[in-house]
Amino acid sequence: MIEARDVKLSFGETPALRGATLAVAEGEILAVMGPSGSGKSTLLHCLAGILVPDAGEVQFAGQRIDTLDEGARSALRRDRFGFVFQFGQLVPELTAVENVALPLLLAGTKRRAAVAEASAWFDRLDLDGLQQRRSGELSGGQAQRVALARGLVSRPKVLFADEPTGSLDSLTGEHVMDLLVSSAREQGTTVVVVTHEARVAAYADREVIVRDGKVTTAVLT
Amino acid sequence: MIGLGLRLAVAGGREAAARLVVVAAAVALGTGLLLATLAGINATKTQNLRYAWLNTGIAEYTTTPRAGVDPAWWLIRGDRFRGQELGRIDVAATGPAAPVPAGIPALPGPGEFYASPALHDLLRTVPADELGDRFPGREVGVIGDAALPSPDSLLVVVGQSPETLATQPFAQQVTAVLTTDPAGCMRCIIGLDNTMFTVSLSVIAAALIFPVLIFIGTATRLSAARREQRFAAMRLVGATPRQITVLATVESTVAAVAGTLLGFGVFFAARPGLAEIPFTGATFFPSDLVLTAVNVAAVAVGIPLGAAVAARLALRRVRISPLGVTRRATPKPPRAWRLIPLVAGVAELAYFVGRRPETTDGQTAAYLIGAVLMLAGLVLAGPWLTMRVARLVADRAQRPAALIAGRRLADDPMAAFRAVSGLVVALFVMTAASGAITSFVAERARPAGDSVAATSLTQAFWPERLAEGAEPPTVADIPAGLSAVPGVQAVLTVRENDRQVAQNMADPSGPGLISCADLARAPGFGSCPPGAQVVSVWQDLIGPRDPGVTPAETIWPASTVTDLDSRRLLSVVVQTDGSDAAKERVRTLLATMDPFGEPPASDAEHQASSTLTLVQFQRLADVVILASLPIAGCSLAVSVIAGLTDRKRPFSVLRLTGVRIRMLRSVVGLETAVPLLVVAAVAIGAGLLAASLFLRAQLDYPLHGLGAGYYAMVGGGLVASLGIIAATLPLLRRITGPETARNE
Amino acid sequence: MSVPLTLLGLLEREPSHGYDLKRDYDAFFGRGKPLPFGQVYATLARLARDGKVVIAVEPGDGPERKRYVITETGASEVNAWLVEPLEPEPHLQTVLFAKVVLALMLNRPAEEYLDTQRRAHLARMRELTEVKRGGNLVDALLADHGLFHLEADLRWIDTTVARLDALAKAVAR
Repeated sequence: MIEARDVKLSFGETPALRGATLAVAEGEILAVMGPSGSGKSTLLHCLAGILVPDAGEVQFAGQRIDTLDEGARSALRRDRFGFVFQFGQLVPELTAVENVALPLLLAGTKRRAAVAEASAWFDRLDLDGLQQRRSGELSGGQAQRVALARGLVSRPKVLFADEPTGSLDSLTGEHVMDLLVSSAREQGTTVVVVTHEARVAAYADREVIVRDGKVTTAVLT
Repeated sequence: MIGLGLRLAVAGGREAAARLVVVAAAVALGTGLLLATLAGINATKTQNLRYAWLNTGIAEYTTTPRAGVDPAWWLIRGDRFRGQELGRIDVAATGPAAPVPAGIPALPGPGEFYASPALHDLLRTVPADELGDRFPGREVGVIGDAALPSPDSLLVVVGQSPETLATQPFAQQVTAVLTTDPAGCMRCIIGLDNTMFTVSLSVIAAALIFPVLIFIGTATRLSAARREQRFAAMRLVGATPRQITVLATVESTVAAVAGTLLGFGVFFAARPGLAEIPFTGATFFPSDLVLTAVNVAAVAVGIPLGAAVAARLALRRVRISPLGVTRRATPKPPRAWRLIPLVAGVAELAYFVGRRPETTDGQTAAYLIGAVLMLAGLVLAGPWLTMRVARLVADRAQRPAALIAGRRLADDPMAAFRAVSGLVVALFVMTAASGAITSFVAERARPAGDSVAATSLTQAFWPERLAEGAEPPTVADIPAGLSAVPGVQAVLTVRENDRQVAQNMADPSGPGLISCADLARAPGFGSCPPGAQVVSVWQDLIGPRDPGVTPAETIWPASTVTDLDSRRLLSVVVQTDGSDAAKERVRTLLATMDPFGEPPASDAEHQASSTLTLVQFQRLADVVILASLPIAGCSLAVSVIAGLTDRKRPFSVLRLTGVRIRMLRSVVGLETAVPLLVVAAVAIGAGLLAASLFLRAQLDYPLHGLGAGYYAMVGGGLVASLGIIAATLPLLRRITGPETARNE
Repeated sequence: MSVPLTLLGLLEREPSHGYDLKRDYDAFFGRGKPLPFGQVYATLARLARDGKVVIAVEPGDGPERKRYVITETGASEVNAWLVEPLEPEPHLQTVLFAKVVLALMLNRPAEEYLDTQRRAHLARMRELTEVKRGGNLVDALLADHGLFHLEADLRWIDTTVARLDALAKAVAR
C-alpha cells in the first residue's frame, strides 16, 4: 500500500533520514518505534506526503507521491489519508461534532449531512453527548478520540498517527488505541502509528525500529 | 526587579523582541501624530500672527493719531490669480516717520512695489498682460517671511502718491501696523478663527490618536500567552504578583520610551512634508511647525507613563498564579441594549426635521447631542452588530472557512470590533462631514466649470466705491483691446437701475438693466420674457439663483425703463472661454477701468471664498480618514497575528491533513474583512443618515451624492487596510509549517 | 544463568587456564557470588567429556598446567546460544546481560541480538494485547502484568542499545 525506498532527508545540515526503506501492506497496522530524534516522525511525514525526501522514493498504491507537487499531495492527504497527532489538533472555535465534520465539509459535503455523519462517530467512540462541546471543555482522552473520529470520518485508505497517546495516561491511551485499531480493522484502513511506547506498538500487527535515520530490520542469519 | 525587567524586555527572546518592536512602532506612530498635531496647533497660531498686519486699518488702535508718526494711507483689497487669492495693499506715506510693516525695509514710493516670493516668481514666468500689468511701476524688493502667512502667499504692497489714495473712500490713514493675533481682535476680518481651528485640530488629534491607542493595546497582546507563561513560571519560583506587575510595567515602558524617541524622529522626518499640507488652506513655513518646551516635556513624559498604566490595566485581564494563567471568563455576549444610544441619536436628529430650534445655540445643542449620541452609539453597538453578522455567517456557512471565522467572531466580537473601532469613529465623522458639506456646497450651486458663473468676469462700479469727485467710468472707458483678447466671447454692459429698486432687498429685480438685444448675444446669461426690450438684472448677470436653476435658464423680469443709454454704467461683464489665460488677461485689463475698485471676479470665485472654510474642514476630514484607515489596518494585522499564534497547532495540523493554505487564508481573511467591511458599511450609513437628517432639519436640503473623491478616499483606505492584512498572510504559511505540528 | 555456556563463551575469546576463567567469570558475571573452583573444574571436565573443549597440557608443575581450548562443536553451541532469543519472561536480564557482554567481547553484533530480543518481546506483547482485548478482566489484568514486565525489559534493552559503545569500551581488555 505504502512503500518508502532508500529515503533520505536532511534539515539543513542535520540528516534526519539516511536511507530509510519500509513497506506497509494494505490493511496492515504498523508501529514505527525508535528513540527520540531517530527520525520516526520525519519518516511518517515522508510517507504521508507532508515532506518531500531529498533522495529515494515514496509510493502509495503503486504510484510515486514524492514527485507530485504540493497541491496534488495536499489533495492526496485530504482525500486518501487521515491523521491523528499527539495534541492540540482541534479548532478551538468549533464544536466537537463540527471538528469531526471538518474533512467532510472540506470535501464539499453539505453542512447538515456532514454533521449527521460526524455524529455517528460519537456513538462508536464512546463520545455520546459531547457533540456540542468545544475543545477546551473536553478531557485529553475525549479530545484525542474526537481527533481520531476526524481522522477516520472521511474513510481514508491510510491513517497516520504520530504519538496518538503521547499526552495520555496509559489506561486512557490504551482506550484510544483500542478504538483506533478496531475502527481501522472495521474499515480496512491501513495504519501507520509512530510511538515510542512498546505497549502502544503492541496493538500493531508489526513493528519497525528507526534508528539514526534508518529502518532497522534486524533479521539475523 | 526593575533591572530584571529591563533584561527580559531587551533580551527576552525573539517573541519578546518582536513585541517590543511592534509596540515601539505603534507608540512611535502615535507620538509622531501627537507631535504633528501639537506642532500644527502651534503653527496655526504663528500663521495667524503672520496674518495680523493685514488687518491694519481695521483694528481701531492702528488708526488713532500718534504724535511723531506720519500716518500712511492704506488700502487693502483681495485680488485673484488663477484661483488663488492675491492680497493687495496700496500704501502711501505722508512723511518719513510712516509706519512700516515687518518684511519690507520701507513703504514703497509711487511707482514701486514689493512682491511676496511666490508672486515674485509668478511675475517672472507669467506674461505681463495676465498679471504684471496690474501693478504699476517696478518691483523694488521681495516681502520677507515675517509678513507672509504661508510660503505660497501671493501678496503685493504697491506704493501710491498720498493724493491718489486720499480720495479713495476705502483707504484709511494708519499710524501703526497691527501685530496682535487676529483671533484676539474683534473686528479683524483677515486671518483664522483660531479657537475654531484649535478645537477642530484637537478633535482630529483625538480621532487620530484613538486608533493609535487601540493599536498599542492590540500590539501588547502579541504572544501574550508566551509572556504570561513566563510570568507564571516566575510566580512558581516565588515572585509576588506585585513584582510581576513591575516586570510587565518595565517591559511596556521600555517599549514606550523607545517608541517615544522614535516618534520624535518620525515627526522631524515628516515635518517638511507636513508643512506642505494646507491644513488651514495655506501651507505652513516648516520653521513654524515647532514644539514648545512644554509640548516636548508633556509628550516625552506622558506617553511612557500612559504605556505603563496601560500595561497594568492589560494585566488585570488575567490572573497569573504559580500554576499558570487563568483567563478571565469568556466575555459575555453583547446585548441588544447597546443599540439604544444609536437609535436614540437617530431619533433625536429625526425629531428636529421640520422643528428647527429658533436660536443658534439651540440648533448647535440639538445637532451636537444627536451626533455625539450616534457616534457613541456606533462604538457601543459595534460589538453587537459584529456578533449578529458573525452568527449569521456561522449559521449559514456551508464552507469550513466561513464556519470557523464566523464562530471566532461570534465568540469574542469585542476583540474583533476593538481593532476596527477607530475606523468607525473616523468613517462616521468623515462621512457625516463630507455628506453635509458636499450637499451644502452643491445647494449653494457651486457652478460647473463651463457655466458662465465660472467663465465670466464682472467689474462693477458701485457709486459708493468711487473716489470723491471722480467721474464714473463710461462705456467709452472700456479698454479697446478687451474684445480682441483671445478667448473673449462677449463684452456686455449693465446700466444702473432706479435707485430705489437697487436698494430694495425684497425686490427680486436686480440693481442693473440690460437691453434684450445685448442679452441675446450671450444666451448663457438667461433671456428676456417675450416682448420685453429691457430687463432688470444683477450686476454680474447671474445674481442669486434658486437651487438647480442654471444661469442660462434665468428669465429676467422686464423693465419699463427706456433711457437705457443715458444711464450710468453699473458693470461690465466679460464672457470668456473659461481658460486661465483669457480670464487673467481680462481681469488685468478690466481693472484699469477702476484701479482702486474691487478687482474683477467671477461668481464662482466669490462662492469659493465663502465655502473655503467648509472645504478646509473637508480636507481635515480627509486627513483623518487617510491616517486612521491604515492605522486600523495595522491594528487588524496585529490581531490577525495574535489570532494565528493562538491557533498555531490546530491550523498546522489542518494543513498537514491536506487542507489547502487557501482555506486557512480565507479563514483569516474573513475574520478581519467581515468586521472591517460591516463596520465601514454601518459607519458610512450612519454618517450619511446623520448628514441627511441635519440637512433636512437645518436647511431643508436633500442629501446629495458624495463626490468621487470621497469614494476614492474611502475605497483607497479600505484597500490599503486590506493590503496590510494581506501582508500578514505569508506569516500563515510559515507558522503553520510541518515543524509546528511535530510532537515536542 | 548458564555457567557452562558462559565459560564456553569466555573460552571462545582465547584458550585459558581454569583460574583465569574463574577470575573473568567472577569479574563480569559473578557479582558477589564467586564461582567455586570446584564447580569450574567440574564444568570444564563435563565440557571436555562432551567434546566441546579439549585440554592442552603444558609442561611443568602445578594445577595450572592445563589450558582449555574450545572445539568446533563448542564454538557453534556458543554461537547458537547467542543468536537465539530467550523465552521472553521476567528476570532475564542477567542472562541477557551476559550475552550482551560476551557478544561485545567476541565482536559479535550485540545490537542485532538485542533487536532480535526486542522482536521476540514485542511478539509476546502482541499476543498478550490480543488476550487482553478479547478476554475478561482477570485475563486482561494478568496480561497487563506480563505486559508491564516485558515493557520493563524492553526499556532495559533500549537503554542498553543506546549505551552499547560505552559498554564495549568497559569490557574491552
